Amino acid sequence: MKKNTFSHISAFTILCSFFALSILYTSCSKEPIREKIITPEDTLKATTYENGIFVVNEGNYNWGNASVTFLDNKSNTVVQDIFNKSNNRSLGDVAESMTIAGNLGYLLMNNSNRIEVVSLKDFKSVKSIDGLHSPRYLQVVDSNKAYTTNLQNSISIINLHTNTVTGTIETTSWTENLIRYDKYMLVTSIGSFNEPSAVRKAQILVIDTETDAIVDSIQSGKEPIGIVIDKKQKVWVLCSGGYDNFEAPSLLRINPELRIIEKVFTFPDPRAVPSRLCMNPSGDTIYYLKGGVYQMPVTSAELPSKPLINADGRLFYGLNIHPATGSIYVSDAKDYVQNGTAYQYSVRGKLIKEYTTGRIPGSFCFTKNSSK
Amino acid sequence: MILSDKVTTRILSKKAFFLLLSISFLAIPVSSKAQNLRDTLSLPEFEIKSSFIIDNHGFKRVKMDSGLFIPNLNADLSAILSQHSSIFIKSYGNGTLATPSFRGTSAQHTQVEWNGINLNSPMLGQMDFSQVPVAQFDGLEILYGAAGISRTSGAFGGVIDLVTKPDWNNRFKILVAQSMASFNNYITNINVALGGRSFQSHTKFNYASALNDFPFTNNTGDVAHQQNASYTQSGLSQELFWKVKDKHLFSGKIWYSQDDRNLPPTTQNFDSIKTETLKDKALRAVVEYKYIEPKWNLLVRSALNDQYMKYTNSLLEINSTHQFYSWINRIRFSYSGIPGLAVKPGVDFTYDWVDSDEYEGIKTRTTTSFFAEIIYDFTPRVKSSLVLREDLIDGKFIPLIPALGLEYKPFNKINLAFSSNLARNYRYPTLNELYWKDAGNPDLKPEMNYSLEAGSTYHFGPKKNQFYLEASLAAYYSWIYDMITWSPVDGSGGLFKPENIDEIHARGIELGLNLNLTAWGFAFELRNNYNFCRSTYEKASSAYDNKIGHQQFYIPVNTFNSTFSMERWKFYFTWNFTYTGDRYTGKDNLSVMPAYHLSNIIFGKTFDVKHFILSLQLDINNLFNLDYQSVASRPMPGINYAITVKLAFSGLSRR
Repeated sequence: MKKNTFSHISAFTILCSFFALSILYTSCSKEPIREKIITPEDTLKATTYENGIFVVNEGNYNWGNASVTFLDNKSNTVVQDIFNKSNNRSLGDVAESMTIAGNLGYLLMNNSNRIEVVSLKDFKSVKSIDGLHSPRYLQVVDSNKAYTTNLQNSISIINLHTNTVTGTIETTSWTENLIRYDKYMLVTSIGSFNEPSAVRKAQILVIDTETDAIVDSIQSGKEPIGIVIDKKQKVWVLCSGGYDNFEAPSLLRINPELRIIEKVFTFPDPRAVPSRLCMNPSGDTIYYLKGGVYQMPVTSAELPSKPLINADGRLFYGLNIHPATGSIYVSDAKDYVQNGTAYQYSVRGKLIKEYTTGRIPGSFCFTKNSSK
Repeated sequence: MILSDKVTTRILSKKAFFLLLSISFLAIPVSSKAQNLRDTLSLPEFEIKSSFIIDNHGFKRVKMDSGLFIPNLNADLSAILSQHSSIFIKSYGNGTLATPSFRGTSAQHTQVEWNGINLNSPMLGQMDFSQVPVAQFDGLEILYGAAGISRTSGAFGGVIDLVTKPDWNNRFKILVAQSMASFNNYITNINVALGGRSFQSHTKFNYASALNDFPFTNNTGDVAHQQNASYTQSGLSQELFWKVKDKHLFSGKIWYSQDDRNLPPTTQNFDSIKTETLKDKALRAVVEYKYIEPKWNLLVRSALNDQYMKYTNSLLEINSTHQFYSWINRIRFSYSGIPGLAVKPGVDFTYDWVDSDEYEGIKTRTTTSFFAEIIYDFTPRVKSSLVLREDLIDGKFIPLIPALGLEYKPFNKINLAFSSNLARNYRYPTLNELYWKDAGNPDLKPEMNYSLEAGSTYHFGPKKNQFYLEASLAAYYSWIYDMITWSPVDGSGGLFKPENIDEIHARGIELGLNLNLTAWGFAFELRNNYNFCRSTYEKASSAYDNKIGHQQFYIPVNTFNSTFSMERWKFYFTWNFTYTGDRYTGKDNLSVMPAYHLSNIIFGKTFDVKHFILSLQLDINNLFNLDYQSVASRPMPGINYAITVKLAFSGLSRR
């Protein structure tokens, strides 16, 4: 009986192994199964990234498909996903913005909770800075340090030599955009992330960059998301009114010296929400998105009633003004589930060029000598 | 590591307790011939004639029985379906979200029922298949496409019905199973069935705990371990069946389940401060009465589905709870007194109640459905059925839902049948789609679907004989209009709103081929499913939209699975092979998750010792250690193992 059982075991095991071995042939693919981009122009590579425009593609939240598209107007080339090409790994989850400091690029990876520091020469990773709380924007203070806003808790101080977080400025709330004025950094503060707009305390924090301390604050409209400075050193703040359309959106003009709001422009429809406040290089014209692209001289007494560029069914998502030419760069994120498009328009709103980008193009970053 | 050791110790002591408990149960002396393990839990009334069935003349249905479930007792519904059916399951990883795509449709278009009551959440309109343990039901039926209209509206893909049935011949049965798997995963199952000729009680208990800290290759090519992926899952059900003179059948069933899950980060999240958790509690209860006469019968059913869900996210400071219950009632009457004609009218009444932190106030919905099914045989070879459904939702009629099916059997001696059906269907928006705070859209229209289907089934040889073959072929074309899609709101920077945007055309071919062979004392079985599905966007949102004619994202065009089993000398061996074709990750089809195939094997032996059957089983999953992701940035485990010990006792069974 026992002997019999034993022979049965071996007979059955041999049979099973035979089947297992026979299917070994079919399993040759040793390459890891990972997401692949099959964009036709994907084979292109640029020799250098020192002169050009970076389109920062946010990618979908939790899909890990953020990327950077490089535009070189001079040679008329578009290169997709340059971080992956240079570093053989994907960029991360939700690329919020990119800022250049010296010859390094700082990519703020919101949901990866890190800043990827790349060399502009070859876009190779120099450092990955961890220890942030959903970073949003980075603004250079001087050649030594920069401030990074976070979705939660604090503003991080980055040492630009060592590329490490050297300190934090506690804020207890979501800080969004920031701009330098004199020795101060003005930071928009939205309130606690999960609070309804009614409870949120929206303000502009005034930080002394010499002491890294919050020295003052200015009350603002709900959800101040954009901040720019004009040629007369007036600060403009764009408030969305709250994600829940709590109040009408507004555009504020602030005197940063007196730290008072000088003028409030209120948008007529609380559900038509403006975003992406920009200033042209000469500091006399404001741009923002509200469906289409709007243009407004800083001297204007009222908000423009018509857009300079109509959206025509596009979902305009990112906007920036070329620092040398004043060209308007605007992106269409479509429905977030396909590649976007970037458009270059003249100051007068005439279409110059268009480019395919990656998923959800959200912001543009220009190199110092980025071609016209 | 200290923590994980502690957890393990605690789990082990819990297991020891269950083992002790089961042994004390088994000590009852009884005399009966012990049977094969499969028979111990197979249910005679759940008769297996053919897996491929043409339901109600012209509608496709597939049955899966306990023969498949017994070796897969430690699995969940998502694994069973992805390995053994033509339904595609989009899985985010072991123990985390798994949603179906049935015939190229969305997760909301597949309805899951448990003993005829709807388990889909009225909030989400879908079901997480990873939360349904196989051990809690005895068999399942898949109703394809328009076949689902006989159950509910809105299931454009179809209906999956989880069935539990009594075995009137049973006197006392018990099964205790314990699995120990890689990555500190433990699963315990206990089934107790007892009763007599007119009364049966069935108790099922399942408990799973998993640390789930499997290694994977991360973004930089280094090996990392999955974080924050542990979970526990437990369930207890009690079913009572009472029969009076084969005329009156009463049943009462109650099923409580609780899931505590940590939700793991993606491979692209690098933070130490975030934790995401999801707790679910669900209580389902159903009472049913059936009156059976030769020419007519009556069914009355009332059920409650009560669920509680709590989601936390430390990073986004979310701590939200959702509580809902659905009160589901059904009356069905069936009359077949006139030869060649059967009429089945009925009424369903459902009341949904939701109290969610993400809604403004309590939301409710009442749905009354008037239903009629008319089955008419033109000749013994040509049969037809017409299903009519009229839903009244919160006092408003949605348009009539009709389905017409035809069946033709050309030969007397050859088991070949052709079937065809056409239908119109509507899906009413879910409560989230209507009422989610700052996003819900009360102006949504119901989605509309037209579908056309033709197919044939063939089977050869009686099942118990040396050779049995069955084949099924179905082709379908389905048009979905006004499909509800969550789209980004302009200027909001990340806010989404549901809108009637997409038009989808889904068409495909499903092939099934099953073979059974008994030779040289071996029992061989081979089951194959191939599925071809083109599900495409057919309406652009603007001139700049680049999705027309492209495959829906995360729905593969090709899927194939094959299961080879053999049995001899009480050994059993199963090899399951699954091929999942390319899944695009964008509507422009310019990025893709490459195709992959997985092999899983099960190898086991049963021992008969008097009234007991002991079974030892080894599972090897991902046999060839494929480094893969099914959903982008969601890691999957490499080769992993499970050892299962099953002890069954069957006494006093009346055969």
